[in-house]
Amino acid sequence: MNGLFGTGPADGVATWVAAIATLVVLGALVGERRVFGWSQHLLAGLATGFLALLAITEVIVPRLLAPLAADPAGRTDLWLGVALVVATAAAPWVPRVVAAVPLSIAIGALAAFALGGAVVGTLLPQLAAAVARPEPTPLATLAGAGAAVISGLVLIGFVHGAPRGRVLATAAETGRWLMLAGLGGWLGYLIFSRLVLLVDRLAFLIGDWLGLVS
Amino acid sequence: MSDRRAILSRMGPPVLLLVLAGAVLLPADIGLRLDRADSSASRGVNVALDQLPEDPMVLVGFDPDLGTYAELRPTVRALLGDLLGRGANLAFISLTPEGRALAIGELDRLARLEANPGQIVDLGFLPGAEAALVALARGLGPTAAGALVGPGELPDPDMALVIGGNDLGPRSWVEQVTPRRESLEIVAVAPTVLLPDLQPYLASGQLAALLATPRDGAAYRATLELGPLERLVEPTEPSSLAILLGILAAIVVLGQAIGVRFASAMRVFGSREAS
Repeated sequence: MNGLFGTGPADGVATWVAAIATLVVLGALVGERRVFGWSQHLLAGLATGFLALLAITEVIVPRLLAPLAADPAGRTDLWLGVALVVATAAAPWVPRVVAAVPLSIAIGALAAFALGGAVVGTLLPQLAAAVARPEPTPLATLAGAGAAVISGLVLIGFVHGAPRGRVLATAAETGRWLMLAGLGGWLGYLIFSRLVLLVDRLAFLIGDWLGLVS
Repeated sequence: MSDRRAILSRMGPPVLLLVLAGAVLLPADIGLRLDRADSSASRGVNVALDQLPEDPMVLVGFDPDLGTYAELRPTVRALLGDLLGRGANLAFISLTPEGRALAIGELDRLARLEANPGQIVDLGFLPGAEAALVALARGLGPTAAGALVGPGELPDPDMALVIGGNDLGPRSWVEQVTPRRESLEIVAVAPTVLLPDLQPYLASGQLAALLATPRDGAAYRATLELGPLERLVEPTEPSSLAILLGILAAIVVLGQAIGVRFASAMRVFGSREAS
């Protein structure tokens, strides 16, 4: 029961629309691809519409237009943002140097925050956590040591092109196989997540739509 | 493709759907129970919630994705009910459009089920990806947050509850918020597919608690006694029999693919030996 719909007439219509869309998507499994293709177009259209609505109602109006209208002279930061948006929109007609500025800022900021966060929030703490140390139980100590060894082997597996001896080559090969095993495990988790979605959709059809399960 | 394989590949999906549908129709309690599992994740969440002060402020980073939210939904609803039952004030914020769409649906459901509106604040959608998270982390506090995230004031949160699945999930919160707000504990609910990604954060203590599989979620839900707020929890549990049958089908399909590959390799090896 997804519970996203209530009991009113509009909710009943929404349940029917959702059920038909679900049947259309499941229909692709039995070979009905044409209607499924239409449903993909419908999804793309709805997503675009929702994005536009979200941009207007929750970003452009409250975070840009309203503050600018309230204090046009005091919000130079927003005017600068507007100028960057205009430069992006006018990219085909302005010199490349000007058009590159907003894009450079966007990519640079994204890389700086993502890389900085990855180093400070993931790489360093995880390297520290991967160091084997005595734990409260022997099993936990062994697991920690195993994790450290696997981390080391997988890191060695990324060494390419450098001259290496037999030991290093064996370690790299082992590391690559361990990484493949990890990817296989991840694929299993992915299948499981999608499977739960499929079961949920069937439960929606049987319970929410047909009312066969209360 | 032989006739037999063609029939199998054509009939397989509808047969699987029918079998799963039949399993969904069966009673939930037929000996297979998701909540009879390791309850350490559930204990972790309960410990984190027990440490909250009275009437705490919980910042809910709501960014699941449509493809995996079905897996999280019962646990998320139970957790929200649990927090409301503990007197927590929930401030919802989304950093992805998909998360915002699902947040709107859940907020609408909470309103329909008459959850106390005084305990729920909708901070809306915050654009800007990682930069927005950094700004959010810097702006958290009695005065700055209101200007940053919307009208009104957002008191200093006592905990962040991150509903993951999308690009900006628990990992992004750990990377961008924790270094700037070390005292803010993060509890995460995420789909199974993110478990390998998030388990290290739990082990290193960067996440206070994590519910990342249907079994963990079911074990947590089994510990709850919400009283009148029980209405906020989903009335039916996911069909464990259908999930089990689906897993078996997946294993058969994958096993068949591996078997075909293995047989092909053996044939090549045999022909080389013969020549």
